[in-house]
Amino acid sequence: MKQEIFRSRWLPWWLSAPQLIVLFLFFYLPIALAFFWAFHLEQPFGGGSEFVGLENFRRVLGSGEFWTSAGATLLYMILASGTSITTALILALAADRALKLSPLARNVFIWPKAVASASIGVIFVFILNPFLGILAPLNEIWPGFWNPRTNVTHTYIMLFVTNVWNAIPFTFIILLAGLQAIPQELHKAGAMDGSGPWRRLWDIQLPLLTPQLFVVIVLEVADSLSGSFGLIDTMTQGGPGGSTNLLVYKIYSDGFKAYDLSGAATQTVILMVLVACITGFQYFFLERKVNYDR
Amino acid sequence: MLETSSTAAIGLHGLVKSYGETPVIPGLDAELRGGEFTVILGPSGCGKSTLLNCIAGLERLSAGRITIGGREVQEEEPKNRRLAMVFQNYALYPHMTVAENIGYALKVAGVNKTERAARVAEAARVVELGDYLDRRPGQLSGGQRQRVAIARAVVREPQVLLYDEPLSNLDAKLRHDMRRELAELHRRIGATSVFVTHDQVEAMTLADRIMVLNKGRIEQFDTPEAIYHRPASTFVAGFIGSPAMNLVDVTGEGGVLRLADGTALAAHSHRGPAILGIRPELVVPAPDGLPVQITYREELGAHAVLTLRLPDGTALRMATALGQRGGLPTDLRVALPAAELHLFDPLTGKALASATPATQTKKAQHDHVPS
Repeated sequence: MKQEIFRSRWLPWWLSAPQLIVLFLFFYLPIALAFFWAFHLEQPFGGGSEFVGLENFRRVLGSGEFWTSAGATLLYMILASGTSITTALILALAADRALKLSPLARNVFIWPKAVASASIGVIFVFILNPFLGILAPLNEIWPGFWNPRTNVTHTYIMLFVTNVWNAIPFTFIILLAGLQAIPQELHKAGAMDGSGPWRRLWDIQLPLLTPQLFVVIVLEVADSLSGSFGLIDTMTQGGPGGSTNLLVYKIYSDGFKAYDLSGAATQTVILMVLVACITGFQYFFLERKVNYDR
Repeated sequence: MLETSSTAAIGLHGLVKSYGETPVIPGLDAELRGGEFTVILGPSGCGKSTLLNCIAGLERLSAGRITIGGREVQEEEPKNRRLAMVFQNYALYPHMTVAENIGYALKVAGVNKTERAARVAEAARVVELGDYLDRRPGQLSGGQRQRVAIARAVVREPQVLLYDEPLSNLDAKLRHDMRRELAELHRRIGATSVFVTHDQVEAMTLADRIMVLNKGRIEQFDTPEAIYHRPASTFVAGFIGSPAMNLVDVTGEGGVLRLADGTALAAHSHRGPAILGIRPELVVPAPDGLPVQITYREELGAHAVLTLRLPDGTALRMATALGQRGGLPTDLRVALPAAELHLFDPLTGKALASATPATQTKKAQHDHVPS
């Protein structure tokens, strides 16, 4: 780094200030406040706080509702990231072959990226509406065939379908780029070695795709923990019967509907620690299986 | 010594390969003899790699038949054709060790672990790979990777070995060494080999026979010696040899070949227009020869390459004799010995049969058809 690029020593700080301020206000400050509130009893409409030590944690961890929500969150994390990555991987593998419509598909699969998850939620609520949506005719033949408003399994299926649709663009792009970076010669060499398309998928493509798979697993898992809020808020509001009241939504309703700011902050801290632990685990254990040789 | 299966001849019959409307190979017939080292030589885009991929089974034919060892294979999968291929950029599997790379084909074929290990070790020994079997390709040098690629090809004891410009990624020194090793390897394992290159030195040094390809057509398919001394067309004449053969438009009348302005160039019985070809190293200084001007000179150490200007302005390259340094007068006179002339048809570019140099009709030495 050359020092003399900037005449004034303050200029670099001025130039990076917008970024730093945004990061501080919307990222570091909330984290700090969440930790602060988690150890204090906050009054809902402001006006003083009282240090209570670990009392908030005792209260949150002692409630059965929290553990139900945490369990649902972990289940959702595994199934949502699993289904979205698998779907995107299958699509990327198909688009990587020089099939007829694959250039078109590569284009079309990016579009959902432009739609916010809340909007996607609203649209899918309509599409999957048991009375008006595409499955409504089946409900007329077999009453109760599809009802995400009362049937918990149906509700989760609806969330997963929507989440897959929402998550495809990013994951698909990363995986497709990884697949395309595998030299064509390796496929030819594999074919000469007698390895058919399926065998090549397991022996050559997937091992060489591990760096990209690792990235999307880390990002998708983290995203399924926090990014599900938009879908739940627009599609289920935690229902039916609190079955989809995942932590991220529970935090919101506890904090902003029930005005339990300290409880919400405590759960936020727990969720943050959970995400950090899971991501750390992935880096320590999963990354060892990643093969960066090219 | 690796067990080698009986060598298989490769027959190409009316082979056509097109991409959409564009024919890359418009129809090709050739017989590649069993155990022979055939080099397919041509400029980029001449269809040589496509031809190799067709033989390998990596590309489907548009029409025609391919036989390997008398068996029709054009509808067969690559793995059933009993051949192996060495790729230009090695195409080693980066996530596998050297041993896993070499043994992958055997693993796919379901060969058990002990036999696999033995055959991998044997193949590694054949290419003198040494003790790198546990390394990854990323930890090897270019030459070592090339050896792994060759070991991976020979481990399956193929009837046919295909090489797709395997030396072009190596530096000059290593390329020379690998060339020698490839020649030795071929002598040891004796599999029919097809080697694609655009490098005439590789073609001349490695080949039993060279197939010169131009726009998907065979210009000439013969021994290196015949390709060099009896080029069948102006394309071959211009492609082989460095510096390339001189090609000059002439007209023959009254036992003399003349330039367009009437200057007599050489004695020859040909009548009518023709393209005269002569190797730069066969242009000789002669006191009573043609007066020329030296316009450019390249000193190459052992000898020099001069660019001469003939009286009518035509350029002519001349390579001086070995060891001859400087000292050439600026008012040089040269002669084109009648015995060294090649004549080509000015319309088709094909060699005129009557004009083949009489001194070089001896039988090619490289013909060894295995029984």
